[in-house]
Amino acid sequence: MSDNSSKEYWKSLERRSDGVRPLPVAGDEFASVPDAPGGERKGVELRRRDFLAAAGFVLGSATLSGCARAPVEKAIPYLVAPETIVPGRATYYASTCGACSAGCGMVVKNRDGRAIKVEGNAEHPVSHGGLCAVGQASVLGLYDSHRLEHPLQDGQEATWEVVDSEVTHRFDAMRKSGAAVRLLTGTVTSPTKRRVIQAFLKSFPNAKHIEYAMLSTSAICGAHRKTHGQSVVPRYSFDKAAVIVGFDADFLGTWLSPVAFTAGWSKGRRADVDTKNFSYHAQFESRLTVTGGKADRRVAIAPAQLGSVMNRLASLLATRAGVAFGATGDDTDVHAPVIEGLAARLWHARGKSLVVCGSQDVATQIVCNFINHMLGNYGATLDIARPFAEGEASDTGAQELLRELQSGSVDALIIDNVDPVYDLPNGAEFEAAIKQAGLVVSVADRINDTSKLATYVCPDHHYLESWGDVTLGGGFVGFQQPVMRALFDTRSVLESLSIWSASGSHKSDQALVRETWGDQVAWNMAIHDGFARISELRVASATFRNAAVKPIVDAGRPSGQELALVLYPKVAMRDGRHASNPWLHEMPDPITKVVWDNYASIAEDTAGKLGIETGDVVRVTLADGKSPAIELPALVQPAQHDQVVAIALGYGHPESARFKQVGPAWLEGKPTLGDNGLVGTNAAKLLTYRDGTLRLSGEHVSIAKTNRTHSLACTQDYHNIEIPASLVLPGMDRRRPMIQETTLAAYERDGTLPSHGYDAHHKDLGDLWPDDHKYEGYHWGMAIDLTTCTGCSACVVSCQVENNVPVVGRDEVARKRIMHWLRIDRYYSDSEGTTDILHQPVMCQHCDNAPCETVCPVLATAHSEEGLNMQTYNRCVGTRYCANNCPYKVRRFNWFDYAHEDTLANMALNPDITVRTRGVMEKCSLCVQRIEEARIEAKKQGIPIADGDIKTACQQSCPAGSIVFGDMNDPKSAVSKLIKSGRHYRMLEETNVKPSVGYLGLVRNRDENEDPTHHG
Amino acid sequence: MLTRDSKLQTLTVVLLIGAVFSLATLVARLGAFHIPGNQQGYAPEQPIAFSHRLHAGELLIDCKYCHSGAETSRHAGIPATSVCMNCHSIVTDTLGSIRAEDELAKEEKRTARRMVSGELQKIYDSLALDEEMKTKPGKVPKPIEWIKVHNLPDFVYFNHSAHVSMNVACDRCHGAVETMERVRQVEDLSMGWCVNCHRTVNHTGIAGTPVDASLDCAACHY
Amino acid sequence: MASMPSTIHSPLILGDKNPSDVTNDICASVERGPSLSWWVAISISSSMLLLGLISVAYQIMTGIGTWGLNNTVGWAFDITNFVFWVGIGHAGTLISAVLFLFRQKWRTSVNRAAEAMTIIAVMCAGIFPLIHMGRPWLAHWMAPYPNTRGPLWINFRSPLVWDFFAISTYFTISFVFWYVGMIPDLATLRDRLKAGWRKTTAGFLSLGWNGSFRTWLHYETVYLLLAGLATPLVLSVHTIVSWDFATSVIPGWHTTLLPPYFVAGAIFSGMSMVLTLMLIARKTMRLEDYITEQHVGAMCKMLIATGGMVAMAYLTEFVTALYSNSPYEQFAFMNRAFGPFSWAYWIMVGCNILSPQILWFKRARSNMLVVFVVTIFINIGMWFERFVIIVTSLHRDYLPSNWTGYSPTWIEIATLVGSFGLFLTLFLMFCRFIPVIAMAEVKGVLSHGRKNQ
Repeated sequence: MSDNSSKEYWKSLERRSDGVRPLPVAGDEFASVPDAPGGERKGVELRRRDFLAAAGFVLGSATLSGCARAPVEKAIPYLVAPETIVPGRATYYASTCGACSAGCGMVVKNRDGRAIKVEGNAEHPVSHGGLCAVGQASVLGLYDSHRLEHPLQDGQEATWEVVDSEVTHRFDAMRKSGAAVRLLTGTVTSPTKRRVIQAFLKSFPNAKHIEYAMLSTSAICGAHRKTHGQSVVPRYSFDKAAVIVGFDADFLGTWLSPVAFTAGWSKGRRADVDTKNFSYHAQFESRLTVTGGKADRRVAIAPAQLGSVMNRLASLLATRAGVAFGATGDDTDVHAPVIEGLAARLWHARGKSLVVCGSQDVATQIVCNFINHMLGNYGATLDIARPFAEGEASDTGAQELLRELQSGSVDALIIDNVDPVYDLPNGAEFEAAIKQAGLVVSVADRINDTSKLATYVCPDHHYLESWGDVTLGGGFVGFQQPVMRALFDTRSVLESLSIWSASGSHKSDQALVRETWGDQVAWNMAIHDGFARISELRVASATFRNAAVKPIVDAGRPSGQELALVLYPKVAMRDGRHASNPWLHEMPDPITKVVWDNYASIAEDTAGKLGIETGDVVRVTLADGKSPAIELPALVQPAQHDQVVAIALGYGHPESARFKQVGPAWLEGKPTLGDNGLVGTNAAKLLTYRDGTLRLSGEHVSIAKTNRTHSLACTQDYHNIEIPASLVLPGMDRRRPMIQETTLAAYERDGTLPSHGYDAHHKDLGDLWPDDHKYEGYHWGMAIDLTTCTGCSACVVSCQVENNVPVVGRDEVARKRIMHWLRIDRYYSDSEGTTDILHQPVMCQHCDNAPCETVCPVLATAHSEEGLNMQTYNRCVGTRYCANNCPYKVRRFNWFDYAHEDTLANMALNPDITVRTRGVMEKCSLCVQRIEEARIEAKKQGIPIADGDIKTACQQSCPAGSIVFGDMNDPKSAVSKLIKSGRHYRMLEETNVKPSVGYLGLVRNRDENEDPTHHG
Repeated sequence: MLTRDSKLQTLTVVLLIGAVFSLATLVARLGAFHIPGNQQGYAPEQPIAFSHRLHAGELLIDCKYCHSGAETSRHAGIPATSVCMNCHSIVTDTLGSIRAEDELAKEEKRTARRMVSGELQKIYDSLALDEEMKTKPGKVPKPIEWIKVHNLPDFVYFNHSAHVSMNVACDRCHGAVETMERVRQVEDLSMGWCVNCHRTVNHTGIAGTPVDASLDCAACHY
Repeated sequence: MASMPSTIHSPLILGDKNPSDVTNDICASVERGPSLSWWVAISISSSMLLLGLISVAYQIMTGIGTWGLNNTVGWAFDITNFVFWVGIGHAGTLISAVLFLFRQKWRTSVNRAAEAMTIIAVMCAGIFPLIHMGRPWLAHWMAPYPNTRGPLWINFRSPLVWDFFAISTYFTISFVFWYVGMIPDLATLRDRLKAGWRKTTAGFLSLGWNGSFRTWLHYETVYLLLAGLATPLVLSVHTIVSWDFATSVIPGWHTTLLPPYFVAGAIFSGMSMVLTLMLIARKTMRLEDYITEQHVGAMCKMLIATGGMVAMAYLTEFVTALYSNSPYEQFAFMNRAFGPFSWAYWIMVGCNILSPQILWFKRARSNMLVVFVVTIFINIGMWFERFVIIVTSLHRDYLPSNWTGYSPTWIEIATLVGSFGLFLTLFLMFCRFIPVIAMAEVKGVLSHGRKNQ
């Protein structure tokens, strides 16, 4: 946009009638277009004189044209046009996501020199085309105004030359003196980084590399070191598993590599393709996770029960396998029958099953390895020869460093993008201890609690600006490439370490990555694809060391009726490193639907006993009193184990103080931040070290109600799918058929969904009116598979990024005014004593008989020739009638002008989508900008749009491939095939609005007598 | 001597003549009436007096030589300064002044100086080039800030490539640019103007080829 | 017109007034300076108006978000107020036109004020569709006019467009009817007032009325024609307003019952508001002889009748829902009566159905205080009726995941107060500057000089 303050009257009636008479340069108003405010206004004078020459009418029209002061827009071309960039056309680069250590493949959309969207790479061997919410949102990190724009020396702006020369000088001295140099990093997944670090540290006589992570894999590594002699995290293949058992491992939500796991897991649950090979999934967990919500059999257990349940399963399998196992587990356990049934299933599916465990206890992980070993899963569904990750990471490393620092024996500490002051339980001790180090160099991209202590801050690139590589497991390596020129004067950490190394060679990050792989990969191909297959195969030790296996003695401490603490990473926030990202704060949690907060989840019964209600602020204290108590609001959570208090990590991050201004400012507006001036409360203080690992769960905890309350902003209230019993007429069906589900057994037999009370009278009535809309060309439609949808919400964020959906803040969400075009409805249902959770993504259903269209007085919403329900923002006057008349309530109204003041963050806006103003209605367009782009491309080539050419943003990001979009008029299209499926239904079909979006009913692998559809 | 009545009559006649006169003036102006937002006739002074008449009219350079995005992108694009240099690294002034300098040099028995016109000098300045077409040290290249003539509102998405590939001639929307010394907005570019063309070509086709021009709102608004 | 007053009734105007008394009595309020109570009343009402203006200005500057609405409940106070005021605006046309055509002579004492109230109420109503828009500065897009968009017209299928025409037609006709009926009285004022701007204005507005036979003949014809024209509007306006809801797909809205239900309700609420105002005016302006207990009694009977229709509609809604076999429909009504907004529903039932039942008793009808309290109840009840229809239907519709609540913000409450401020301010101005009773018509029903009675 050009400068609005330069309100120039450009339109000259005289000149219009006189033709193209060129004015003398000095007299023309455009010679003096003020670039800066207060520019020359001579041109206006001249025009006014011209105006006065004309009669009154002209004055009148001048007044009118005054209303239309057109801002002067400038077109600034390149000086030298880059070959690859055509203004207005997007360029796509394959890269690897750096938002967490999973290494999902992605394709970055670059438009006119800036990255605006990241999406899954469909050809990627690990992630298979999906990308999680965190990855989707990470593009905003590029345009984070808190990023450092240049290196710092003692908090002051410095140049790289100065910083490098001083740092190199001091390191050189340390090399000679043998001073202690410590390098603290997060989990290193990049072979190049590992190589560069090793090369850097090698030159110091006393140097050490310490890796740590709040959510570490050290227990899995440790267990495999003991059972297989290799410190690795195996590559898990959920797609090859017919029976999947999860023990406190939220593998579809947050555990290790949720996108890859969801892709694999969902492959085994394609009910239409193959009912015979539909996997069976059992989950034992203490709190309700998205994984547990999808399980065919979910058992809520306390952390303390995990050991006995796993012992029991191991002993049952050991008996079958004829191997000795020291314990039998508790066969009086209420879950014993379930475990026995599961053991039988697992044994039956030897070599085709997978047992995963999320415990941070090495002994528990060893039993998990033992179970997998007995089932012959190593080499089949678990690959340790080409592992997912490897490392000597030990949770105690950081603590040893702390002691070293405290003793003052560390001369130089280099901190690579980690923030132990925030994310370790004894952060305050770290803060004090780091000050003891002689030299502290941080490569953090911003000032955080740790980097503020550094003498030199040498900001790293954002991962979208730098070269890198990631081990993917399975013989693959992923590559990162810069997708745009670095915005600021930052430098890749690889480069920094290379410059500071003994050789002092200044190698670019690209050269360093290339050097690592040499001839192993075809470089150009690898960069084009974003990944490469490497020939290197680690020699696997096939022997399983039975001697290492011992029954679990102590998996969690509290027993009896005491409460156990469970700290967990939330789907959107994980370990808190993206706490500066408002999209992730505003993403409703898949289970609780709460935004902008963390909370202590308490089971319904426990809350009742303690007299705690949702929103009461509670004080959570570790029973051993080692850590100070934290206070945060409580949330009553169905289906959680009674003895569990669950709190999400990653909140209360100092970065979140920036969201003070988020949300509209008005008389009754309430702040987005909590009383502590932050979003949520940091629960990392409650992490504990036990037996050499950092424990997330199992500590005995006490909880006390304070007399304060803090209302939690929730997009959805507690509702199960049924309407309140008090409002039911006799004979009225309480269960609304929004989500239709069935069991695998029933579906195999019938091939259809069970009928429900709501369709009986409506199905084949036909229309009173002739069908006059034929949709002769394309007829766009969508089908969403509820069987594979986990509720992970990647689609929600993807849609938000693609469609410039504003962030509205906590208060607005609490007022039920969230702007997300795509919401995921969450319902609970009870069956057989367990509580199921059901997720249903709902966006505009693009009804053929759309109720919104008839009521709009100004035709701002209308139907396209291709079945889309179009919304024209600039025509909308905002009566909200359309939203009222929408049975699905998918329309979103701009209640206020939402903030777009952060000009840097605005660079992430999609230029293909209008940014909506206050007072207009908006909603899902089925990514019409993508449809239009594909249509124009197809027209140019004179061919029809092929199935799969258009992928909506939500479809693109879905790790499970649950969303399919396409032409319903093409019988061969994927969506048409799904529509023919017996599971296909349309929501509120009985209202005859004829939605273009349909759903595939939810199938759970249950026997019919476990039928959750307990209606008529 | 005038009576009161005749005074009135005279006044009436004078007023009538005045009314007719101003009406005549106004009617002429009526054609120039634009409703707000209509920028028809807009012809801003550009930073360089680039003549489309000369380049497109006389020299017959194809539109797409400079506006190369028109075939592939939604934006036709303003050519990069480097595109100007394809010719203007050699052509630095009018033939007349170069010949005159040659003549003068011959007379004065010296090598002819390179003649650079004032307008073209702006291109070289923009690229920070000296007279020998080498980068001037210490000078920062600065792109030329052209003034956009054809402005559509931000909520309208127009795609050049969709139209060019369907053989819609450039002058259909831009007018006879090859006759314009300075580019002027010829059409009003209103929504009605767009829609009516879309309606018409669905019946008539473009250059004999049937086309399917969308009339959906979402063809342009999203 | 000047037929015999009904002999089965007692005299319509008490005090054995002669035409001159009528003129003196009624013109008195216009001619004498405003009383202290008038000043008190207007300062309160204009303060309310100011509050409303500030809140509307704030809302337009800041956004509709300053109201308590949400993604599910897109209308609440705004359209409730709109329908409420349109409903109030019904009595004027009914009393003026319909009763005129039915030769109900008792209307003459109340029709002027009722019509004024209609016009003011419609003005109040008209504000809400305007300010409830997200972008009220583009309200002209609701009107069909030639444009450069292709041309892009308005959506003639939208009930909001019908509303636009229905309300503007109703307002125009009501205004003309009111004004035409006022011409003879304006002429009276003109003749009585001393020279000054008021006399000039009255003279201008009375269009050269000279009281001749021809003038009267023309007047009576025009008045009759306008009455005939206005009568269908009584049915059309609220029928069309009800289509805003009836043509939707929302359970609780989507019903064919709504048009008659709305019309009956509108007449009910309008009558009640007329009665409220007349009772105040009668007391404060000493018009007991003109607005007699007989008038009040007649209006009370109409309240009982229309209240009965409304009660019938409430009942029918439930029966229809029950009979529909649509679980959504059934739930909507169960939720209305027993859900989170049941308090509003029962306020509505209590005020609209129970409270008027006392008017069956003649003693209650002749106790002005009782009647006044009942009419206040009905005014409240009828506001809640619209609130119940709008909010309880919206807040829990098809998908349980969308269910929300609603509570108004101070901005909305202040806007409602402001609309009452506007109503009262304008009505007070009316009482001050215009004869509140149609003198010319009242003179036609005087018993003065009718010896045989």
